[in-house]
Amino acid sequence: MRLERSKQWWLARAKKEGNTAVSAGLLALDPMQDEPSESAVPIAAEDVRIAFGKFINLMRRRRGLSVEQLAEEASLEVSELVVIEDDVHYVPEPRTVYQLAQTFKVSQQRLMQLAGLAQVKDASLHQEAIRFAARSEPVQKLTREENAALEAFVAVLSEQNAK
Amino acid sequence: MTVEASTIYLLDVPSGEAVEAELRDAIEEKQLIDWQTQWQPALIAVLQQLAQRHVPIADWPQSWHWNWRTKMAQVHGLLAFQGFSVVCADVTQGLMRVDLTKFARVPAEDGKPLVFVDYLEVAPWNRPELGHAPRYRGVGTALVTAAVALSEQEGFKGRIGLHSLPQADAFYRDRCCMTDLGPDSSCQNLRYFEMTPEQARKFLEEESES
Repeated sequence: MRLERSKQWWLARAKKEGNTAVSAGLLALDPMQDEPSESAVPIAAEDVRIAFGKFINLMRRRRGLSVEQLAEEASLEVSELVVIEDDVHYVPEPRTVYQLAQTFKVSQQRLMQLAGLAQVKDASLHQEAIRFAARSEPVQKLTREENAALEAFVAVLSEQNAK
Repeated sequence: MTVEASTIYLLDVPSGEAVEAELRDAIEEKQLIDWQTQWQPALIAVLQQLAQRHVPIADWPQSWHWNWRTKMAQVHGLLAFQGFSVVCADVTQGLMRVDLTKFARVPAEDGKPLVFVDYLEVAPWNRPELGHAPRYRGVGTALVTAAVALSEQEGFKGRIGLHSLPQADAFYRDRCCMTDLGPDSSCQNLRYFEMTPEQARKFLEEESES
């Protein structure tokens, strides 16, 4: 886009601007001093870590990946992915979260918070995490494959108990 | 994409002379480098001076720091959007990012497309509100003019909208004669202003008469 105006025209406009400030949009705000907000309340990391494990699980399944395939794509250990999906007490390494954020193309910062590696200051994220965890809880019956896997695993457990 | 550069003129405040500058219809890597290497240190220096008037830095809490990381990440995102920049003496003097997907809120224009200015900032040394005489005057006006011109070019009849920072309310209300729609709770209560086609016409007419 090209603007054609005379030198006098621009100069007159500049003079008219005077000593008034000109800025717009939140991004133009000067950086603020980082202080704990009064509304910020300590949020139990474990609450959001439930959502983290479920999130990774659903994202993996939505892409039709097995744990092994995701581990390969994200350059992670299979064992760590299994623990992430199943153990809310597990806190992954920052690199792991970084790799997962890159793989799923989501905010690294937010995923760090979900994973318990950064404090969740945003109450709305906490609420959304809990809501997500609740809504993503499967209610459908097990598929044939899940049943088969479950039965096989139960059988293994039974054998171990028997020993 | 080809970047178009228009020749504009700013007022060099120390000398009182007009200086040639460029209004570019893009924000490029060079602008981000200037922001990081020149704007940021200049603003930190000014803010520290301001703060020092009230509280000695030595008394500030250990955790004191500015959230530059957040702002830097946001500024780096500018490359992905349509933007404008003013360059003078080979240094970026002002930046603007626009969004063409928003609609007017003024009742008479409700729902019609406009150019939404979602970011407009001038270099710290050009900001009179920071307590010193600006180096160049006219940078912000040039960017607003570009937004109105883009709106006309896009067939939006000069309609623009923006959230003003508190210190700039007077500029948009009194100098640009935009309609003040009051604080917007969805944007940290910044006041939302719009320029209607009639106001845009007047804005440009006033300029052509000068």
